Amino acid sequence: MEATVALPAWRANLATIGALMARARNELLRVPGAAIPGVLAPTIFFLGLNGVFGALTQLRGFEVGAYESFIVPISMLQGAGFTGAAAGVNMARDIEQGWLDRLLVSPAPRWVLLAATVLSASARALIPATFVLAVALPLGAGWPGLDGLLVTFLMVAAMAAVAACWGSFLALRFKSQSAAPLMQAGMMAAILTTTAYAPLALLQPWLREVAEVNPVTEVVEAARQGFVGTVTWSETWPGLLALAGLFLVLGALALRQMRRTGH
Amino acid sequence: MPAIEVAALERAFDDVKAVQGVDLEVAEGEIYGFLGPNGAGKTTTVRMLTTLLLPTAGRATVAGHDVVKEAREVRATIGVALQEAALDPLMKGRELIRLQATLQGLPGAEGKRRADALLERVGLSDAAERRVGGYSGGMKRRLDLAAALVHEPRVLFLDEPTTGLDPVSRKTIWEEVRALNDDGTTVFLTTQYLEEADQLADNVAIIDDGRIVAEGTPAALKADIGDPHIRLQLEEGSIAEAERAVAAVGKLLPPVDGKTVMVEVADGAAEIPAVVRALDEAGVAVGALELVHPTLDDVFVAKTGKHIPTDGDTA
Amino acid sequence: MTALATNLRVVKALGMRSIRQTFRRPQLLAPIVVFPTILLAIQTGGAGSAVNLPGFPEVQSFLQFMLAGAMMQSLMLAGNSGGIAFAVDIEMGFTDRLFAAPISRFTIVLGRLAGTAALGLFSALWFLAIGLVFGAEIESGLWGALIAIVLVTASATAVGGIGAAIALRTGSASVVQGLFPLVLVVLFVSSAFFPVDLMIEPAKVIAEYNPMSFIVEGIREPIISGVDASDLLGAVAAILGIFGLGLVLSARALRHRLRVG
Repeated sequence: MEATVALPAWRANLATIGALMARARNELLRVPGAAIPGVLAPTIFFLGLNGVFGALTQLRGFEVGAYESFIVPISMLQGAGFTGAAAGVNMARDIEQGWLDRLLVSPAPRWVLLAATVLSASARALIPATFVLAVALPLGAGWPGLDGLLVTFLMVAAMAAVAACWGSFLALRFKSQSAAPLMQAGMMAAILTTTAYAPLALLQPWLREVAEVNPVTEVVEAARQGFVGTVTWSETWPGLLALAGLFLVLGALALRQMRRTGH
Repeated sequence: MPAIEVAALERAFDDVKAVQGVDLEVAEGEIYGFLGPNGAGKTTTVRMLTTLLLPTAGRATVAGHDVVKEAREVRATIGVALQEAALDPLMKGRELIRLQATLQGLPGAEGKRRADALLERVGLSDAAERRVGGYSGGMKRRLDLAAALVHEPRVLFLDEPTTGLDPVSRKTIWEEVRALNDDGTTVFLTTQYLEEADQLADNVAIIDDGRIVAEGTPAALKADIGDPHIRLQLEEGSIAEAERAVAAVGKLLPPVDGKTVMVEVADGAAEIPAVVRALDEAGVAVGALELVHPTLDDVFVAKTGKHIPTDGDTA
Repeated sequence: MTALATNLRVVKALGMRSIRQTFRRPQLLAPIVVFPTILLAIQTGGAGSAVNLPGFPEVQSFLQFMLAGAMMQSLMLAGNSGGIAFAVDIEMGFTDRLFAAPISRFTIVLGRLAGTAALGLFSALWFLAIGLVFGAEIESGLWGALIAIVLVTASATAVGGIGAAIALRTGSASVVQGLFPLVLVVLFVSSAFFPVDLMIEPAKVIAEYNPMSFIVEGIREPIISGVDASDLLGAVAAILGIFGLGLVLSARALRHRLRVG
């Protein structure tokens, strides 16, 4: 038997991440209509929330112009949340069907397997975000400027990564797709218990208190700034810090859970 | 150095011990059969040896590496085809093997070369560009086997590789396993099929309720149980007369029903004329006569008091 | 035993089965109860200042206003969920077993609807309790609560008929599940979450004619003010219309299912 030829570890890890991301892409490319729910849900929320709550801009203290501008980053982040949670559901399905075992018996490090899921979700989240934006702009949402756009998409991609860590953690913890509602509800609650619907001052007292401590509020404000004003570093760095913190915590939980799968 | 060495291996799930103190040793280049009914602990044992499950007690080494402390090294040297052929239905056959090659750290060009060779070997070249979701059960198992071999593992774990397959597909898998072993691969094979263990394995361990109840070569295990017996279905004459007649030739076995007589005969087929003559002289007409050799199921019965359930397709 | 008595027994047995199916698996209840509750909390907390908008109805609180919308969301999801469960039964072959039994085929649909009705009842009670716990009053008292409960239960049954029809027609749980966004769309273009007069075009125009708006107003009025005969009649008419549509579609889909197998 000839000796096995192997790549250096760093190249093997990158190749593995790439190969698993290519596999994740198959669902979009090979299942007709697979992308539709992920795109449709945030778009419906955008149109619905705008049609229902648009009159809130008449309230004193809501000086942000068009409600479309106020709400579009929320829908884009919701899309990121759905996409990340869906990555968790896919992982749960892989666990149920034994596919994850195939990955776990390979020499690929656990963090590499998780990285592929997270990066796939980050990339995929850009699709619903782009679609929502394309719908919102003709309907009156303000153009955020190139800097605003970049910041928003960065927040979307990073939020999807956070959501994928959350979904993966739950998938590995419960090993079942029945955890899907928890994945989705967790992200929905995280994104909407912020200044999603209205500025902080106009929120009901209990939600105002929650929004003040919810790190995702910083993400929302950072993603929104270009749409309702100008982009500044002082509005951006808290969002980045919040995402970094969430990613570290949820990523660590997911990785720990993956390492404990045989326990 | 043994390919696999297991000492007092245990795995408990809450209060239930799925594997209780298993000891075994598999030599390099051997096909080792792990035979037992559903729920005996076969898959749990395989999952521990392939680092998917942590033992709760005991230790095991595979290819010289401890399954707990050197799990990564174990994974680099083993190939695994688990009970459920875990294949992505959206992937094409070739894509799957190339992914497996990437997971094993093989360069892209080498992975491609090996994928082509393995697909040819398992007879899936023509189906390589089709999605796995359209493969038959037999094709999926062959693909799973090919994926397990892409990095030329030293030890190959096959967990019930032919469960649910038709007899033709089963024979194809058997041939492939023999060919792999001829190339020097150690094979650890779990099965619930007696014939599979009998046909393939150099050594067999029979497991029940998490414990090994018997171990040895198939021939030695069966010889340990006893001699072959002749099973007779009577057409005319009384059972009592028949039993008296055959008792003079061999050892009468306990009755199973009102029309069948069984007698153990040390010399096997050579004793058949004597049995027929004795029955003829007693005026007993025989409807059917069968020489039955001990099976691994007989070994299982002798050790545990129960049969290994079969699903009717152990052809 | 008369045919009617037999059919009622079958409907009861199948209804009990569908109720047990749902309540034994919390993950099936989550979309019906948990999501609408989370959304109720968030929308109440986020858009609660809306009560200060000129033209907003006189209400005790935004929560009081939103209870009807939450019930509406929940009952529509219950109808969708019932359709999914029915489609799973078809995929698994369980309905074939029922079709082969000496029972009226339509009792199979009615049995499923009985389960959906129970979910609707549960939703109504749940959200009334939530409202009361968090300080929302039912202005017309016990009668108002009873009217809300009856309307929600009846609506769930009516929507369930549509879900059952889709399940019978397609035989696919994933198709029925894929209709979930449609539920959201229908809700957003109704008065479930906001007064119609304060909605933005074109949602406003659609909401004015959306049958769900009539049902929501019928449920809402007893909670925020008093029982209004015209609102009540509008709700009942809308429910009967949807129920009738569901029955017709279900009957056709059932014939189709029996033909194609």
